[in-house]
Amino acid sequence: MNVCFYFQVHQPYRMARYRIFDVGHNSNYFDEHKNREILTKVAKKCYLPANKLMLELINKYKNKDRQFKISYSITGTALEQFKKYSPETLHSFQKLASTGNVEFLSETYYHSLSYLYSKQEFKEQVKMHNDLIKELFNQEPKVFRNTELIFNNELANMIQNMGYKAILAEGADHVLEWRSPNYVYTAKTAEKIKLLLKNYKLSDDIAFRFGQKTWKEYPLTAEKFAHWIHNNHGHSVNLFMDYETFGEHQWEDTGIFKFLSHLPDQLFKNPHTNFLTPSELADFEPVGELDIHNFMSWADIERDLSAWKGNSMQNSALNELYLLEKNVKEINDKKLLEDWRKLTTSDHFYYMCTKYFNDGDVHKYFNPYDTPYESYINFMNIMNDIILRIKIMMQDKNMMYELKRKHQITDKPELIINN
Amino acid sequence: MLGWEFPPFFAGGVGMVCYELTKAFSKRNDIEVTYVMPYGPKDLHSEHVRLIAADNIIPNSKIRIKKISSMLNAYMSPEEYMQQLRQLEIKQLSVKEGESTIGKDNTFKLYGANLLQEVYRFAEKVKLLAMEEEFDIIHAHDWTTFPAAIALKELTGKPLVVHIHITEFNKSGGAGVNQQIYDIERMGMHKADAVIAISNLIKNICIEKYGVNPEKIFVIHNANIEMNEGLEHHSDIKKFNKIVLFAGRVTLQKGPDYFVEAAKKVCDYRDDVKFIMAGSGDMLNRMIDRVAQLGISDKFIFHGFYTREDAEKFFSMADVFVMPSVSEPFGVVPLEAMMKHTPTIVSKQSGVSEVLNHTLKVDFWDTDEMANKIIALLNYNPLHAELMNNGYKEAKSLTWDVPAQKCIELYYRLMPLTIKVNQHITIGGIRQ
Repeated sequence: MNVCFYFQVHQPYRMARYRIFDVGHNSNYFDEHKNREILTKVAKKCYLPANKLMLELINKYKNKDRQFKISYSITGTALEQFKKYSPETLHSFQKLASTGNVEFLSETYYHSLSYLYSKQEFKEQVKMHNDLIKELFNQEPKVFRNTELIFNNELANMIQNMGYKAILAEGADHVLEWRSPNYVYTAKTAEKIKLLLKNYKLSDDIAFRFGQKTWKEYPLTAEKFAHWIHNNHGHSVNLFMDYETFGEHQWEDTGIFKFLSHLPDQLFKNPHTNFLTPSELADFEPVGELDIHNFMSWADIERDLSAWKGNSMQNSALNELYLLEKNVKEINDKKLLEDWRKLTTSDHFYYMCTKYFNDGDVHKYFNPYDTPYESYINFMNIMNDIILRIKIMMQDKNMMYELKRKHQITDKPELIINN
Repeated sequence: MLGWEFPPFFAGGVGMVCYELTKAFSKRNDIEVTYVMPYGPKDLHSEHVRLIAADNIIPNSKIRIKKISSMLNAYMSPEEYMQQLRQLEIKQLSVKEGESTIGKDNTFKLYGANLLQEVYRFAEKVKLLAMEEEFDIIHAHDWTTFPAAIALKELTGKPLVVHIHITEFNKSGGAGVNQQIYDIERMGMHKADAVIAISNLIKNICIEKYGVNPEKIFVIHNANIEMNEGLEHHSDIKKFNKIVLFAGRVTLQKGPDYFVEAAKKVCDYRDDVKFIMAGSGDMLNRMIDRVAQLGISDKFIFHGFYTREDAEKFFSMADVFVMPSVSEPFGVVPLEAMMKHTPTIVSKQSGVSEVLNHTLKVDFWDTDEMANKIIALLNYNPLHAELMNNGYKEAKSLTWDVPAQKCIELYYRLMPLTIKVNQHITIGGIRQ
């Protein structure tokens, strides 16, 4: 039984506290200090030690019959921040890239929901990301993963037409029914592109349950986990998870790094077990076709879009943001476009989720704001400044003062500009 | 003193809590409540509890009167007691209770100037009562009942629970703490087997200012108040204006001045906002002056005293309710607003902010942030809609069954194992 490791690496640009009174006065939307602080913290706890371990494991099996291989998708916003705040992290990823055992996947540069709102913007962000991967890691991605594994047939078709050989998706029960996530499939209306599905049970054993003392399998040893893998059937067990699992979500004292370092040896005890990269896995013949009409994702138990589009604040903010695309692109101001794109990052909408707000769960843990309401207010205040900039750039610069004075705070920015 | 009775004789405050709690107890069959209060009008009727107005108990022997003097001596001399009583300005105390909605029709009598004396007379009467009543736990609300409760505990040896709704330190922003009241509060907390604090804010005061052992303090948050599920109130100002509401006593503790400063900042962004300041208090004139000084008199409506009916109207009219309290032991008013489908902004210095998720929280002094959030609620419709709907559901879900259950669990902890069936609780209910 083979294993395919895929790790998501992402850091958003977190918004600065931005009040109504800032609209028209400053356009510093992102909290440089906080972003630096978080990135250096996560680099220290996760990226640097995890990359070191991955490199050691790759080197350990380098000249053996069976090698250790992994894959990453690193967002553009994360890579930019590595460059700025933690060049040694970027360097360690480049070192991994140079081993030849690490595959880099393609996604939207800003880890955005652009596919749902603007195919044009989606393609531009994917291209931006591909260019950056080429520049930094000298690879041309062959496999695509959409933000948070958001997926449906139509997306598969588009990605196929963009020339990719495989796409990642959640192995959700409601889609698979009796089928196993351990095989390669195709999607309806996308016969050529291969579907690689996350084995969420085994992935979540590591990502979520590893350190849970109340879990009946606690503590999870590499030996036990390898045994579970060996008992699976199919092309490959696909272990897809956030890279921050190692050291950040599961702290070092849970033994997560030790677990990982012992895992290859334990897995190789079975002579038929190999590590595969997503591209290699995509060479298998598909066993069937899946019809996934409704969007699915890897988020929450619902495995749908409700984490980002579950309430009226989220839907309104998303709609309004993408309604500005046309204006922002017409103006063709580099800074404005960049600011606007940083706002497309899906995390901003995740912070506005009220779904589990009562329970103080994972949404709260990842939310830099006190409440979903505050993140929405902050976002909309920033949007109001963006409209003001658009208005000013569209009109005579001499009118700037007049515009600022008359500016109305609104939840429908696009109407203000285009009416 | 105002409002020591059950509703409808007043709105809000400790009496409301006692009422809701006993009502929640009355739904259960494992607990009986004898509710004792210092004064009850003859026409008082409440079906779910046995009400015994302490004032109606006629002292039937001289021995009892003797006991009064000995009781008093246990804490302080009568001379000292009377002397300090004179210093206690009734005017000041009555202003603190200014927002209560005592109509002229309610036969309501003040205890008069001899507040502390009344407290001890009450204690004596409660002792008389104790001879006729059976109970397993004594549960006393706020300092005015503590002497009575302590007397009962000493007489019967039953476990004592004191329920702290407010302390001297919350009333005057920490300045001008009344030593006598403080002493009674402190004694009650120290003599009690358990202290119920209605919020962590109160718990911390009990620890820091009264030196109470944290291990015997249990935080049991208050819950909602029944509201009429009426339709939204329509009014002409609503047609052309957005309404931002402050409702409460206009005193230092409630932070009306921060509300006014924030209002000024909101006015810079919108012309159509009306600010209603409902309630009366010693800062009202200062607020009217300040609003004039800021040039926003035309944006303000000062309503003064308001009735329960007025309150419901205000809540349903308002687009935003703000509670900017400097120090609020709990603060049930936002829950009332939420149950009338009005989004709320509450100060982080309030007990209610500890239990609410679906509200906007601000530091009372941060008037920029307060204005930011008011403007956001007025301008961003999805935010208003989400907070309205989620806030309503949340306030609805905060029923008194939860605190009642927690109280009962606490009683069980304190009671000897043998008598854990058919508890009989004496609750002294007094509003301070």
